[in-house]
Amino acid sequence: MIRIKGLRHGVLDIPLLELSGSLVAVIGRNGAGKTTLLKLIAGLEEPEQGSILIDGRPPRELRVGWMGEHPDRTMLFSRVWDEISSSLRFTRVPVAEANERVMVTLESLQITHLRDRSISSLSGGEKALVALAAAMAGSPDILVLDEPDSHLDAPSAMLLQEAVLNSSCQRLLCTQDMDLASAAEELLLLADGKVISQGSPEKVFQGREESCFYPSMWRLRP
Amino acid sequence: MRLQADMLVRRDEFQVRCQAEFGRGLHLVSGPVGSGKSSLALAMAGLLAHEGELLTEGINETLISFQFPEHQVTASRLDDELRSWSLEADELLSSLGLLERRGDDPLRLSRGTLKALNLACVIERNPDLLILDEPFSSLDCVAKESLCRKLETRRGITIIFSHERGILPKVDSLSQMRGGELESLGSPQDAIPRWEGAPPYLREALRQGAEPENVRLEDAMEALCRMRG
Repeated sequence: MIRIKGLRHGVLDIPLLELSGSLVAVIGRNGAGKTTLLKLIAGLEEPEQGSILIDGRPPRELRVGWMGEHPDRTMLFSRVWDEISSSLRFTRVPVAEANERVMVTLESLQITHLRDRSISSLSGGEKALVALAAAMAGSPDILVLDEPDSHLDAPSAMLLQEAVLNSSCQRLLCTQDMDLASAAEELLLLADGKVISQGSPEKVFQGREESCFYPSMWRLRP
Repeated sequence: MRLQADMLVRRDEFQVRCQAEFGRGLHLVSGPVGSGKSSLALAMAGLLAHEGELLTEGINETLISFQFPEHQVTASRLDDELRSWSLEADELLSSLGLLERRGDDPLRLSRGTLKALNLACVIERNPDLLILDEPFSSLDCVAKESLCRKLETRRGITIIFSHERGILPKVDSLSQMRGGELESLGSPQDAIPRWEGAPPYLREALRQGAEPENVRLEDAMEALCRMRG
């Protein structure tokens, strides 16, 4: 459960907000404050005013898995294995255990074949999956994904979306893909830093049939 | 007005070949990440060396919008940035709702807003040949739709390199990158069934037996309506 109280930070103005879904998607126009909110929840920024608690604790006391829009710009290592095991090594997890967790993560994302590759030899879609694996390998309390699919082609986006949907940990993501958003448990619609609507996809998209925020696949239903 | 390419672009060990002709109108070149779209876009804009021929007819000004708009920023204030494109700053900034931020550093805008600003600049310049590298990435759906409408009414040649899978404009031709080569698929209706990177809504329409006339979501919905009677 994410609980936000009296938050004022940059464009954001959120008096009270509780998010309880295990997969929450944040949607809204450019500049609405989606990335800022994600950074605060991930503990990458501290709120100017107000508080954010995740299961009763501030974000910086939790293990957070973060993936940004340009994963290749934030990768630290040149090899896939090193990148995915980095968070485990930084927290001094014994090597045997770390290796096992990297393998499990690779398998769960179906990218075991990439384990010995160099990062520079990967396609954009593969890089995104490796970045997701790196964020997941440390068994985070929460996974925060900032438009992870916005630079991917359709097949890579499908793979990434499937991986995100099948993951069992608590996830918070923002996306411009309303078909992905419609698969989330809970939606949060932001505009100019404020919460406009919150709830199930059915509830949030209801009455928005005329807007482009309505999922395209819902329009094709017989 | 015509662009005729018969060229080979080499980048490190990677190479991409293109044999195609583009006339007045809107052309979509689709292809997965890493298939050579950006290399080809840069070469067509004259920013990357190539072998072979790139012939133009009736094209005076060519402009490109880069995939990452931050790579194209040259000024440290929004109004100066617009002036660097020889554009009237206040008018364009106010149409984008950015007038109050005219003194801000462009790199402080959200990524989608910076992208929209960059696109507004190249479109406002109204070049004969406009090349757009992933223009839709980072834009929200309202901005994507507004971009589509602006592109549809342009008079010159517009070539869009994109793997966009949500919102697309009505196009005059479709091509795809395949095996290091640009493959012209022709007019949209014939091309859609052979289009490997077709967005999910077009695939779904095809699956249900419909034949969309163009690549927009509306075209998929119309085709389904026609089919269902």
